[in-house]
Formats: sequence, C-alpha cells, structure tokens
Amino acid sequence: MSDVPTRDADGMIIFRPKPSQPPPPNTTGVIGWLRFNLFNGIFSTLATLIGLAALVYVFLAFYDWAIVKGVWEAQNRQECRLGKEWGTCWAGVEFWFSGFIYGRYPAPEIWRINLAALILVLWMAPLWIPRVTAKSVIGLSAVLVFPFLAGYMFLGGERNLFMVAVVPVAMVWFAATMVHVLLCVLTGHGLGRWIIHLTGFSNRSDRAARYPLMAAAAVAWLLVLFAIRDWTLVEVGTNRWGGLFLTTVISGIGIASALPSGIVLALGRRSKMPIIRILCIGFIELFRSVPLITILFMATTMFPLFLPEGLVFNKLASAIVAVCLFAAAYMAETVRGGLQAIPKGQYEAAEAVGLGYWKVMGLIVLPQALKLMIPNIVGNFIGLFKDTTLVSIIGLYDLLGMVKAVSHDPQWIGLHHEPLFTAALIFFLACFAMSKYSQYLERKLGAGDRR
Amino acid sequence: MAIDTITEQEQLKSAVSDEVVVTMVSVNKWFGDFHVLKDIDLTVHKGERVVICGPSGSGKSTLIRCINRLEEHQRGDIVINGVVLDNNLKNIDTIRRDVGMVFQSFNLFPHLSVLENCTLAPIWVRNMSKREAEEVAMEYLTRVKIPEQAAKYPGQLSGGQQQRVAIARSLCMNPQIMLFDEPTSALDPEMISEVLDVMVELADTGMTMLCVTHEMGFAKRVADRVIFMDFGEIVEQNTPNEFFDNPQLDRTKLFLSQILAH
Ligand SMILES: Nc1ncnc2c1ncn2[C@@H]1O[C@H](COP(=O)(O)OP(=O)(O)OP(=O)(O)O)[C@@H](O)[C@H]1O
Ligand SMILES: [Mg+2]
Repeated sequence: MSDVPTRDADGMIIFRPKPSQPPPPNTTGVIGWLRFNLFNGIFSTLATLIGLAALVYVFLAFYDWAIVKGVWEAQNRQECRLGKEWGTCWAGVEFWFSGFIYGRYPAPEIWRINLAALILVLWMAPLWIPRVTAKSVIGLSAVLVFPFLAGYMFLGGERNLFMVAVVPVAMVWFAATMVHVLLCVLTGHGLGRWIIHLTGFSNRSDRAARYPLMAAAAVAWLLVLFAIRDWTLVEVGTNRWGGLFLTTVISGIGIASALPSGIVLALGRRSKMPIIRILCIGFIELFRSVPLITILFMATTMFPLFLPEGLVFNKLASAIVAVCLFAAAYMAETVRGGLQAIPKGQYEAAEAVGLGYWKVMGLIVLPQALKLMIPNIVGNFIGLFKDTTLVSIIGLYDLLGMVKAVSHDPQWIGLHHEPLFTAALIFFLACFAMSKYSQYLERKLGAGDRR
Repeated sequence: MAIDTITEQEQLKSAVSDEVVVTMVSVNKWFGDFHVLKDIDLTVHKGERVVICGPSGSGKSTLIRCINRLEEHQRGDIVINGVVLDNNLKNIDTIRRDVGMVFQSFNLFPHLSVLENCTLAPIWVRNMSKREAEEVAMEYLTRVKIPEQAAKYPGQLSGGQQQRVAIARSLCMNPQIMLFDEPTSALDPEMISEVLDVMVELADTGMTMLCVTHEMGFAKRVADRVIFMDFGEIVEQNTPNEFFDNPQLDRTKLFLSQILAH
C-alpha cells in the first residue's frame, strides 16, 4: 500500500474511506454466539449446563408421561390403567373434548355455536383488510349488534317482541357488511356508494343521499322479518351452556363492556363535579378491594333478593353482571394511568384551539392514552379471561367446570391430570395469542409517531 | 436605509385601529396564597403588536393565559372582542375560537400528521368540510414555508419546523388575536430566526399579537408597544424606541442591562 496521498486537480487531498474488514473469528455466527452467550467464563458455563440438564429432565419426564405412557384408545379409565401400567388417559380427554368446548350443549345444536363463531370472525375480519372503508361502523356493530344475533342463536326458543325486531336487524346488518366488504375489495367503493349511485342520488346533497340508504335498510329489514317469522331454533337453556364456549361468552361480554365503562369511570374519577367524582371513586375502590369470587357469590345470592318476586335472574346473567362490574373497575384504573401520562400541554393546546371537553378527550387525549395503554389493556383482558374460571365455583360449567366434571363421570372417575393439562393448554394458547397480538399492535401503532 | 425603516414602521403603526380587542381592568390572580397578577390594566387595539417581557416568574405567561382562559382570573374584568370572559362556557368557547395560542413547547398532537394537526380544529370546531379544511391548512403551511412536511408526524420534524406548524395550526382557525408564549425559547439558535421570520410576516399582515419574548430584535422590529412586568405588575410600557433607549424606571433599566449584557 502506498501512503502517498492522491490529490485532485486543485491539489486538495482526496479522502478515501478505509475498506471494511471481516470481524475477528468466533464473535459472529453460531459458534461465536454460543461462546459469547452460553460459555462465557466458568460461571456462565456452569449455569448453561445446569439449565440444559433441567430442561432435558423436564422434557424427558413430560415425554414419558404424555407420549410413552399415553393411551389413546380406551372405553373407560380402567382400560387406560390396565393397557399400560398407570397409562396417561388421553382417551378420556378425547371422549370429553367436545364437552370441554361446548359444555352440555345438545350435540345436534352445536352447529349454532360454530356458526355464530364463524359469523363473528367474518364480521371482524374486514377490520384487517386495508381496502375496506367504514371500519369503525363495522367494528362497533360487531360489538353492539352481533351479540343480539348470537344471543338468539345460542338460546333459541320463541322470540319476544324485542327479539322479533332485533334479530332481523342483526341479520341484515351482517349481510350488508359482507356485501360491503366484497364490493370494497372488488370495486373499491362501499355498499353505501353503490346504493346511492344505482338509485341516481349521487349528485344530490349529502342529506338527500341518505334517503335511499335508509329505504334500502328498511326494505331489507321488513323482508327478513317476514321471511323468518315462523322460523325458530330449539330452546337451549343456559344451564346447558358450558366449556370454552361459556368461558368465551362471559369473558367476551366482560371484555367488550370493560373498555367503554372503564373509560367512563376513569373520566368520572377526574371530573370536576364532586358528586360524579365521589360516585366513581366509590365504585372503583369498592370493586377493586373485593375479590371477584366474593362479587360472584354476592351476585348469585343477593341480586335475587333485591329483584321483584316473579323476575328470575338466572345464574349466568348474574355472573356476567358481576364480571362486567369487576372488569370495569379494573379497567378504569388502567385507563386513569394512561390519562395521567398525557402531558398538560396537550390539553391546553386542544382547549386553546377551541375544542370542548368531549372533543379534547375523544380526539386528543384518549387516542394517545389508549395507545400507551395497549399492553395494560390486553393484560387486563388476559387476566379477565383467566379469572372467569372462578364462575365454576358458583356452579357454572365453564371450561374449568367441565374439566372437573370429568372426574365425576363414572366411566372416567378420578381422571384429573389429563383434562387439567388440556385446559391449561387451551388457556395458554388463547392468552399467548392475545399477548403476542398486543405486542404486534404496539409496534405497528408506535411506528407512525415516534416522539 | 434608516429612512426606509422608519417609513416601514410608520406604515405598520398606521395599521393599528381604534377598535379595542382586549380589555383587562384591574385583573388579579392568585395561585393559592401567591399573588401572581396584581391589578393588571391593559388595553390592546386591533392590529396592535404588544411584546411582553420581564424576569422569570413575573407572571407573563399567566397574564396571556388568562386571555383565553387557560388560567382563571379571580378578580377584575377581561373583555375580548366585546365578549366578557366569565364562567359562561359559551363565552369561553367564542373567545377561544377567536384567539390563537402558540406555546413554548409547541404542544403539537403527536398522534396526528402535520396536516391533521392543522385541520382538526377547523373541522371539529368550525364544522368545515375536510376538503376545505385541508385547502386552508395547506395555504397556511405554505405561508410558514413547510408545505412539503404536511404528511409527516410532529416527531419527525425539527423544533423550528414544529413551532411553525404550531403557528399554522393556530392560524387555520382564522383567529383575530394571536398569543405567543416564548415561542422561541425552546429552540436552537439557528431555528429561532426561521420562527421569528414567520412571526414578522404575520405581523406584516396586521394580526393583533401579544407576544411574550426576550427577542429584543424582534420587539424593536415589529412591536407597537413593549410591556415590562415584574412581581405580577406591569412596571412600565412604552414604544420600543422609548422603552429600550430611554427607560423611565430603575427596575426596567436593570432588567435591560441584564438581558443586553450577553
Ligand atoms: N399552576 C401553578 N400553580 C402554582 N403556581 C404557579 C402555577 N403556574 C405558575 N405559578 C407561579 O406563578 C408565577 C408566575 O408564573 P408565570 O409562568 O406566569 O411566570 P413567567 O413570567 O411566565 O416566567 P417564565 O419566564 O419563567 O416563563 C411563578 O412564580 C410560578 O411559580
Ligand atoms: Mg412563562
């Protein structure tokens, strides 16, 4: 190499960056990584070996229990035991698996639960399709309209006047959502646009353009109302609901109601009006200082005392109310934490441009606060999902209740471990998925506006 | 050259009309026991540009924040554009629509793009259509010389750019009065001038401005009146020339010598 500097036409020395060189051996690549992270000195080597030994031990023990000793074909627990010495009775889990998912819901009617689940998935899925417009309407209706449809599909029976009106609303809404999504994906214009366009209202004022939409909705509603007037589903009492299905119903309603009611309570707690503030603080502190199990017992034993004689408030409804109240109180504190993280300058700037209280909250403060709170909110949801197992104690057969019921089945008497393991696995999969999704959401939403 | 400046200043001053837009009569305010504003009397005419200066803690921010009710005064009267500032929420709303404010720490909305920052209030407060609001916003973003940043988020801009967005955001509401609370104190030196340039241009359009600042060059250039505050009182006020060259009170003289020392 020559150290003589090169010069350009004006005699200035030309800067030449040094060429990059490969890193010293064994700091990168698999071996380097292993060396640096696992065998970096005596202590770390020892820790690695002990950790590995523990891992191998646990894995082998589990393998032996679950696979080597596993019995998949058996009519009862006795056969499991005899087939292999103290065999692990997966046959019992298999036999009961449908019960873990649907509880004691009559087998010929189970399609109703599956169909409702499918409808919910279809209803929510468009939220993740970029081309779809009016996502907030779709999302809100999935939370506010779908439950009535699902409620009827689960319960069945004669429809009362309210349900006669509401079930067709939900059906029309769902169908309209699906058509809207298809049109959005295929043509780039939503259902509303098409209706306005096809009825020739496209060059009228915004207000006038609403008429064909309302007319179309009304006609569709009447048609469906008429078409399904004689159609009923077999009634399935809530006492037969159970398993993961029941867990999902209870925690789903709890989760859907927790965020709005938590926001209202958190805002109330910061309100300038003393009565509202005291009421909110009282509610939050009361429900946060009492264990959920106590609230559940109170709900099932004490609600009926306050209600008029004839009105029967079933156990499931009481449990749902209890879970909702409990979840709201916890969510309120989470939301308050998020609200506190928003600097005072944001409120001031928003007020200074003339926004009133609700617009400051809805447009400036809550969007920022909720984004900050996503991990905590999802944490709350996960907690709630797991906490609903407590309803098994007041005699509802949720997933845990069903799992415990197996051991009372004469054929499978005393079978505890395998069903419990299965329930744990189901809970783990659901909660892990939620947690992962929240991390993804956090990253995605955080990408837009790094401060 | 000198003659040029004088005629320019004369022209600016002639823009000041007789119409009174801000009236404060013996306004008093306390934070707990601490008396922040003591018997403030202030009248600002339409088109007038007032610079407020004074040592830290003298109540400058509190004074201008009382004008749009970010702080509530406890005694005395404030009338803005003929509307009495009292506990009537409707009056407060009316006043806030007509009064824009620019903060020391920008306070842009970090979750909204620059354009959305500017269109938010016109859409939600003035009920403007989105398209119209965006047109207006682009016009003001062009005026503050950053139309090309419209799609970015505040976190992606430099301090000077953020403060110019903040000015544009206020202007989009088409305010009658603009309040500035030390708009350049959080900025690096090379960014101060880009913000001051925008403010000077705004002053040239005849906007009524109340500006807390220690930028004396700016005060000399555009102010019709300089107000000096200390201990919650208006100590002295005068035209910039008189104020800087011929202060009447010893306190003012000391303050001026301190800020001009470095
Ligand atoms: N919210 C508050 N509560 C209590 N005291 C306050 C509050 N805001 C301001 N003060 C006090 O009031 C006094 C005046 O504050 P103000 O912010 O108006 O001063 P300033 O002249 O703007 O000072 P600076 O140049 O530092 O911005 C200060 O002593 C400050 O500590
Ligand atoms: Mg200040």
